Amino acid sequence: MTGANEFKLTQGPDDSISAVKFSPASPQFLLVSSWDCSVRLYDVSANSMRMKYQHLAPVLDCAFYDPTHAWSGGLDNQLKTHDLNTDQDTIVGTHDAPIRCVEYCPEVNVMVTGSWDMSVRLWDPRTPCNAGTFTQPEKVYTLSVAGDRLIVGTAGRRVLVWDLRNMGYVQQRRESSLKYQTRCIRAFPNKQGYVLSSIEGRVAVEYLDPSLEVQKKKYAFKCHRLKENGIEQVFPVNAISFHSVHNTFATGGSDGFVNIWDPFNKKRLCQFHRYPTSIASLAFSVDGSLLAIASSYMQEQGDVSHPADAVFIRQVTDAETKPKST
Amino acid sequence: MAECDAEWELCKENIQPLRQGRTISALHQALCQQQEGNHTALNQQKQAFESELRMYDGDDPLDVWVRYIKWTKQTFPQGGKESNLSVLLERAVMLFTADKRYHNDVRYVELWIEFTEGCSDPMDVFRYMQAQGIGTMQAALYIAWSEEHEKRGNLKMADRVFQDGVKCGAEPVDKLHAFHRALQARVCRQMMSSVTDPQRDEDDDEEEPQRSSLAELKAKGKKKAVVPINRANASAGYARGLQFKQPLGPKHNTRPVIFDENKVPETVPQEPKFEIWTAPPAARAKENEQKPEKWSNVKLPMKSRSGLSVAVPPPKPSFQPFVEEDDQPPAVTPCKINPAVNSVLSARKPCRLEQTPLKMLQERQLLMQTQTQEDGKSREQSMYCRDLVYSGATEFCFEELRAERYRQKHARPADHSTN
Repeated sequence: MTGANEFKLTQGPDDSISAVKFSPASPQFLLVSSWDCSVRLYDVSANSMRMKYQHLAPVLDCAFYDPTHAWSGGLDNQLKTHDLNTDQDTIVGTHDAPIRCVEYCPEVNVMVTGSWDMSVRLWDPRTPCNAGTFTQPEKVYTLSVAGDRLIVGTAGRRVLVWDLRNMGYVQQRRESSLKYQTRCIRAFPNKQGYVLSSIEGRVAVEYLDPSLEVQKKKYAFKCHRLKENGIEQVFPVNAISFHSVHNTFATGGSDGFVNIWDPFNKKRLCQFHRYPTSIASLAFSVDGSLLAIASSYMQEQGDVSHPADAVFIRQVTDAETKPKST
Repeated sequence: MAECDAEWELCKENIQPLRQGRTISALHQALCQQQEGNHTALNQQKQAFESELRMYDGDDPLDVWVRYIKWTKQTFPQGGKESNLSVLLERAVMLFTADKRYHNDVRYVELWIEFTEGCSDPMDVFRYMQAQGIGTMQAALYIAWSEEHEKRGNLKMADRVFQDGVKCGAEPVDKLHAFHRALQARVCRQMMSSVTDPQRDEDDDEEEPQRSSLAELKAKGKKKAVVPINRANASAGYARGLQFKQPLGPKHNTRPVIFDENKVPETVPQEPKFEIWTAPPAARAKENEQKPEKWSNVKLPMKSRSGLSVAVPPPKPSFQPFVEEDDQPPAVTPCKINPAVNSVLSARKPCRLEQTPLKMLQERQLLMQTQTQEDGKSREQSMYCRDLVYSGATEFCFEELRAERYRQKHARPADHSTN
């Protein structure tokens, strides 16, 4: 199934994969967090696992702070940072409920975590220590950083936009333009907007500028649906990742497909072959040459038997990721 | 604890009354938590209930709902949106509509009755319950239903509902009979007081807050001979009847007024004035200071003919009375009764509710039926466990569901090892 431009990572996690993240410095290193309570660092070019550290419970998300520090959090409510040079753990702090997302904001130099305890916490990565707790109206399901702004997606289809430089108030309170649960939000690399995916096969492209003209440009479309025997099967869209250069993005759904979209021309650029099971997470490398694809069942249809979990690394070409019109 | 006592004193008026009362300790706790602004404990408990709803695999799923709803009522004494009580009730009630074994379960019927209290159309809900066979064997349904009729002044129906209940063999019979007798006693007392000494009408009026103030005005006017005698007589007749409370009040009242007007050709230009008079009944309920002026204006031309006019009510159609568009609002104003029933604070919510609960329920059932029928044709199928994601008052994501499974799985081995 894997062609010349794609390979499967060896020594993959023992349980479902919750997140994959490329190093901000090079396309060589990839962090993978998993339900087997561990975070692994892979050397992608050598297809080998370099390092692995443990949490007390399944890990739901991880992120690079810099090329030598990984941050991660999960069901044990603990936020950990791991020095990848010295292989040493530090527990930075805790939430009151499992930590669902971990992100780094380079503009403000702050780590951001979102949790089911209905709060977002900021962490100073240098000390490291807590730099503030900000209550959200609902459980945080996803978050993304756009420049110095933070976009938080919560249960109840709410979207909150915060200014990381001034967390005194919520800059914008929005409602998802999609009808069903928000699965993932990722900001455009050009910081003008974000893409939001829902549990029922839909993706929305939204803009941060509240002016009417700009808001007119927002749209949503259906995807990750399969027709079978006349029934349209609608799959959750679990993962979004932006190509840092072209501002195009990839979406991954529980149908096992990965699509790459051109948001400006509202076109699909390509669709890859079907992966063995749900796409749980996607990550473009910093230079946009590689796409890490976590194909891993998320028990969205209950605890049933399923194909093995795996991370695929795919080389992507400009033809697949560059808007056609230019 | 002393602080909490104080807290309780300060919050009294914000605490929603519960039929079964409140445990004072729970109330203290809830208020303390709110005072401290400490929502984490609350959220955790709520989350625990939510996941229990989804993960329950015993044979009495209703039990979790009942406990969750009870907890919600005790923990959010102010009620309101954040408690999600109405959402919970709605979900719980709808979840088990197809589950025959719960149809005459006391707990389920109680949930339904509580659910109707939040509805603007409780009657429809009761009728729906009857049609579906929900609670038809439970005295509680008939008691609640009858009370609703009584509240609206429809005593005949209130009585008939009890008879239905007895006929259906609702349990417990004693309770049903006790409430039935109580109703009959109330009716008798009311009849007696209105028939035997009409003099006390005025006192009765004061006792009954729902009494239409328009009728009251006229009755008084008659005795004091402030208003034309004949006309007032007619309306006083209405007033003495059993059904003062009927929201029809304004209609009755407008009839004699308009018809008097019509009789006098010269007063035709004054027609609009009458509409103005009938238009603001809301103000009437508060103050009647302004009315006497208008009454006096109106009175003079009519006096001469009022004697005749009473004998000839039909002439009304001969003249087309000027009816303003806002003729409806006066008819609606008696819904002063409704807010009392509703006990909802915001003005926006009731209209929402009006559209939603029962109709939605029926729509959903229809939809489900059509879905099962047309499943073969062209329906969408969600490829995830939608029931689990969307049951309860808040949604869950896959990871939360899985986390719950993980916790359950890993709690058990831990128990074994400690043992």
